[in-house]
Amino acid sequence: MITNSSITVLVVDDDEMIRECVAAYLEDEGFTVFTAESSEKGLESVTSVHPHVCITDMRLPGINGDQFIIRAHQLYSGTRYLLHTGMLYSLSDELRLIGMTADDVLLKPIHDLSKLVARIRYLATDGGHHAVG
Amino acid sequence: MQSHAAELFFKSESSYRMLVESSSDIIYSRDKAGCFTYVSPAWTKNLGQLPSQVIGHTIGEFVHPEDQPACRKLLDGAVQVGQTGEYTFRFRQLDGTWRWHISRETPHIDGNGVMAVVGIAHDVTERHRIQSIMALTEKMVMVSGLAAGMAHEINNPLGAIMQHAQNIERRVSMDIPANVQAAEEVGVDLSLVRDYLEKRSIFSFIGHIRGAGVRASEIISQMLSFSSRGETGIATVDLSKLLDKVVVLAATDYEMKKQYGFRTLEIVREFAAEPLYADIASPEIERVLLNLMKNAAQAMAAPEMTREPRLTLRTRADEGMVVIEIEDSGPGMDETTCLRVFEPFYTTREVGNGAGLGLSVAYNVITGMHRGYIEVSSRPGEGSCFTIKLPVRGTL
Ligand SMILES: Nc1ncnc2c1ncn2[C@@H]1O[C@H](COP(=O)(O)OP(=O)(O)OP(=O)(O)O)[C@@H](O)[C@H]1O
Ligand SMILES: [Mg+2]
Repeated sequence: MITNSSITVLVVDDDEMIRECVAAYLEDEGFTVFTAESSEKGLESVTSVHPHVCITDMRLPGINGDQFIIRAHQLYSGTRYLLHTGMLYSLSDELRLIGMTADDVLLKPIHDLSKLVARIRYLATDGGHHAVG
Repeated sequence: MQSHAAELFFKSESSYRMLVESSSDIIYSRDKAGCFTYVSPAWTKNLGQLPSQVIGHTIGEFVHPEDQPACRKLLDGAVQVGQTGEYTFRFRQLDGTWRWHISRETPHIDGNGVMAVVGIAHDVTERHRIQSIMALTEKMVMVSGLAAGMAHEINNPLGAIMQHAQNIERRVSMDIPANVQAAEEVGVDLSLVRDYLEKRSIFSFIGHIRGAGVRASEIISQMLSFSSRGETGIATVDLSKLLDKVVVLAATDYEMKKQYGFRTLEIVREFAAEPLYADIASPEIERVLLNLMKNAAQAMAAPEMTREPRLTLRTRADEGMVVIEIEDSGPGMDETTCLRVFEPFYTTREVGNGAGLGLSVAYNVITGMHRGYIEVSSRPGEGSCFTIKLPVRGTL
């Protein structure tokens, strides 16, 4: 069994309120959590931390969440992504190409964060391209 | 001035009669008190009653209750002899339904020096229907624009409310070692803290916060769906399978189970013998069917129910369209409700039990997204039936 503490999660959101509630929950669940308040900071964290899973907001100042994912993937391809969005969103081909599915789009507001935990574990373990080692 | 031919024509009474009798508008005369003295055959064609069922009766007997004030005004002699007044009325058809008419009346003094009124009633039901559909569409466009802006601003705070409520639950849980440790550090026993919270119903309050958040977010998501264009795409779907799937969804819905006893309903399936397929945006249509079944279950849970609760689901083909019917044996609706059910935010439920969005979402998905039709037929005490027609080869 892979423990949550060996799974690293990066939360990218410009809204402090959302960063905090998601991070607090994931920390309580034992994950190792990093946060970033912008796409620039997010790109830095992806390259330095190599998170297993990154949850990013769709509406970020500067570039959008989907563009952020594509750039981050070019810098480091080991991270899996969850896109957090307020509007219905159908995945672009580029995001499908890096392995994202409709299950990786999280519609705001998330009613129950325990569902998020299950998805993160799935992505970071057998559902991911690489297993946590 | 008149040609010789016209002079001859108007000299014969039978020609006058023909003019009146072949008119598709209703031509009538009545006395000062409103009693009909003549109605042309168009009355029977349009409304169903025979002249013998109309002549000698007053106009008020055929006019919709809501139009009575306008009718009284007309009988009070608001219009002078020689002038013409125009009124919009709903006239009752033989089957009890109503047709919109514009009546133009001209009082005159007849040969005996008595005032009589001649009127022409023109059926504007179809025009009325189109106008109300347009008004409805306009309203929905407005709501969806509003919702899109609002959703963006409200989803984050709403998320924070629900998620932090969940965080509070987690932070007093015994399962998290950091909680136990922090409690020790400040010299309290976490299990006693939990006992206190339990005793003062604080856990259930937290549950209510989460529940309220879910309700608010569902309203926003229904409003948002007005502008959704079927993002999930179109697929060929077997309609009876789809209906069965939604029945299962409905049966597992918490509210439907607990409050509306969905599982104890008798469900009658009258499906077409051959499987019926249509190209539809399946998740959206599922939502529509669920909304309809939810309304039916809510209606049949009403205390004034006298008949056995029964939900009838039908499918059939009809000239390049597929038809789905959802009928209940509930208390039905009066005419005003029938006319307004598809309006956004129209509800007869108590505050907190319904936002009045279920059917406007249905209307939007069926007519806007799928270019189909949705209609209701219902009468007080006779249950309600919602009919959906969708193109077999649908596009979004
Ligand atoms: N099957 C039915 N029988 C009787 N009345 C109905 C039925 N379906 C709808 N109605 C009436 O139409 C109104 C509007 O329905 P609609 O589904 O749009 O909103 P709602 O059920 O009140 O709220 P919501 O669906 O947003 O929870 C209801 O309040 C009810 O008065
Ligand atoms: Mg409803």
